[in-house]
Amino acid sequence: MSDNNRFAQFKLVLLGESAVGKSSIVHRFVKNTFDNMRESTIGAAFLTQTITLPESNTTIKFEIWDTAGQERYKSLAPMYYRNANAALCVYDITSRSSFNKAQDWIKELKKQAPEGIVICLVGNKLDLENEREVDQQEVIEYVQELNQENDNVILSECSAKNGEGVLDIFNKIGRALPVEEVINGANNRSRQVGSRKPGVNLSRQQNQPQSSNCC
Amino acid sequence: MSSFHRAERRKSVAERSPSVSYAPDTIPQLAGLEKPQEHNLHIGECDVLVMGTGLVESVVAAALSWQGVDVLHIDNKTCYGDSNSTLTIEQVKSWCQEVNSGRIQHFEDAQVYVTGDIYHPQSKFKSKDYGIDLTPKIMFAQSDLLSLLVKSRVYKYLEFQSLSNFHIFENDSFSTKFANASSKEEIFTDQSLSLLTKRYLMKFLKFVLEDNNDEDKRKTLADNAKVTIYDFLSQKFNLETSQINELIYSIGLCIKPTTKTPEAIARIRRFLVSFNVYGNFPVLVSKYGGPGEISQGFCRSAAVAGTTYKLNTALTDYDPQLKLAKFSDKSSIKINEKLIVAPTQIPKFLQSSYNEITESLKKVNISRLVVIVKKDCKEWMADQECSAMVVFPPESLNSQNKTSIQALIQNGGTGVCPPGQSIWYLTSFEQDSIKAKQDLQCAFEKMESSILRESSDLDDVLDENLSVNKSGTSLVVNSVKLGKSLQNFVPKETLEIICKFGFTQKTYVLNDLSNVINPTDENNVSLRKTKDCEDIIFTNMPSSEISYDGIVKECKTIYQAITGSDDDFFDVDFEDDDEFNPAGFHQQPTTSSSNLKTSDNDMAIASSDDEDNAHPFGADEMEL
Repeated sequence: MSDNNRFAQFKLVLLGESAVGKSSIVHRFVKNTFDNMRESTIGAAFLTQTITLPESNTTIKFEIWDTAGQERYKSLAPMYYRNANAALCVYDITSRSSFNKAQDWIKELKKQAPEGIVICLVGNKLDLENEREVDQQEVIEYVQELNQENDNVILSECSAKNGEGVLDIFNKIGRALPVEEVINGANNRSRQVGSRKPGVNLSRQQNQPQSSNCC
Repeated sequence: MSSFHRAERRKSVAERSPSVSYAPDTIPQLAGLEKPQEHNLHIGECDVLVMGTGLVESVVAAALSWQGVDVLHIDNKTCYGDSNSTLTIEQVKSWCQEVNSGRIQHFEDAQVYVTGDIYHPQSKFKSKDYGIDLTPKIMFAQSDLLSLLVKSRVYKYLEFQSLSNFHIFENDSFSTKFANASSKEEIFTDQSLSLLTKRYLMKFLKFVLEDNNDEDKRKTLADNAKVTIYDFLSQKFNLETSQINELIYSIGLCIKPTTKTPEAIARIRRFLVSFNVYGNFPVLVSKYGGPGEISQGFCRSAAVAGTTYKLNTALTDYDPQLKLAKFSDKSSIKINEKLIVAPTQIPKFLQSSYNEITESLKKVNISRLVVIVKKDCKEWMADQECSAMVVFPPESLNSQNKTSIQALIQNGGTGVCPPGQSIWYLTSFEQDSIKAKQDLQCAFEKMESSILRESSDLDDVLDENLSVNKSGTSLVVNSVKLGKSLQNFVPKETLEIICKFGFTQKTYVLNDLSNVINPTDENNVSLRKTKDCEDIIFTNMPSSEISYDGIVKECKTIYQAITGSDDDFFDVDFEDDDEFNPAGFHQQPTTSSSNLKTSDNDMAIASSDDEDNAHPFGADEMEL
């Protein structure tokens, strides 16, 4: 296709306590909508959205996996973390405990997720600034500490409700991802980029099976 | 907490007959569950409680959930999959301990050996680099579970690879006569066969592929209902033992020579009709693990539809009058409809009911030997593939095996182990478990010597036999490739084993799946009635079947027992809005917004072939 546009696809997983707004951030990002009443809805599989990094003329497609509530009782399946390139670890800036939980999730990620995963610690509900319980400076210090241990943690704040800072999160992640490596196919062993489905594509049958009894 | 919690409770079954109390404390704490977000379930009620995250239970949970049923899905273990789990080496070790201490019903005699390497801090390989299936399975390209994976969109969580090579062991060597074919017809056109044999084979192929409603075919099958497939093939089609073995054990994956003709023909047919559905191979395997991985996919689907998940939780008590369930986390929840209980999850107070139900049923033993070796075994696999099947027909081993041994081999390319290694899953259907072990060991040794022979490359031979001159080189290469003629060639190399793991599993599903395909309240655990509690439905232990056949039928049987009909089983139209790509990247610009596919039911899937095959994954399925 377009030769001068470069493309890479990455899997991004969401983590964080229930009701911090994980899905809302994604919906704001993917559909640019916010539904106050939403509980936790996602599609049958996962959402995708692309961003373009103009400086490197690269299009990045995010395949975004929501927890589907399986995080509530710590029952996320290994499948969830598998081959994840980035994780959005979300807390609610108006909830101290949600920030503590986010730190637990970061520890969990180090155990379960692939090495080199890009973690973005996101404080949501920036629109409720006057109810803030989590001090930004504290978060900065925490992240600095993590990154001294060679972690790949970036941080951000946003409001899924009014959209502030949401796109910025994904742009930051996009710039932190090993795009060059992936485009150059260096990492082709584990599934990356367009080699996402190197195997058999079940949505594409070769010939018409007998079961084509459509009305 | 729910109001039921406060209600005055009547004494439950367990309380009325106090025996040994169920002790959830014995369940080991594994990583990931040490700091639960919530300790106790915070829901007041649900419609259906599903216990056990095995494949059937997971599909049922998803099916119910998508129909709007409120499902709570728990497992007494800390990982997904239950009897279908895909385990790491560490998990295998603790699983074996659990089995041998009698804590996991229907499994016994677990043995495990793990090389010390894995624990070495500097070791390149870690326990979690391995995904070992308790029930290894292969999926035919034309099969009901595969259709369900597509229909339910669960395939999107998974990756599939092809498997083409089916080897059969005969006369003390492996042959792959029918493998590597690119069409159904080619399967039967091996050059080494005589013209006459080819003609008989083509006649047989035609018979098998004939429509199942064809009068003549039906009559032939009915007439031969009691005839063994061996006799049928030799008498009606004049085939010789070598071809018959290949047809029965390799293509048909039957397990004994006495398999009756109709069953065997159905098995052979499923292989042939699976050819060229997704390519010139009959079978698929899921990456990173088989049923364990697919279970996780359905659990995720169920979660998306609203099912609540909580691992490491057991039912400790159930009051059938109040319909109140109590759990090991001390929570209590009202169950409005039914409880689905996997046989590995049976609480003490339900044990006698289960025993009663299963008393008169025939028990089937399945013995497995799993060996992880430091070889990728690519010699056995087709080009670009990472899996292969090896079958040992009855009487082919020195141990005089009465039933066949089926072996699935998967290397690092399937994500179940590191590169350069492979997992060999050997299954025996011998009912005498001591004999089964001998057969398995015997088959393993045959595979071991075969792979050493075949993989000893020229350089090794040259290094060890410096006297071999250049002119002799090509000869050596050829004979190494032939394998058979080098039978007595003993390589210096030995096979490095990383892990060896064996166990016996019991099930009430018969080997021919007859009590799953035609279940009655006489023959199937799920339909048998419990005396003291009508709300309980037990599921079956996994069958001995190497394919996924029977799984969907089992799910529908349970689904029907709950909802009264399986008409709306996974009757869901998914909008594939997740594949909507606003940038139009990777697509033809014209398909980006107007190519409306309103619903993705059966019809859409079937008609997807009309689309340009060059389109990337899902590009034609757009958001409204």
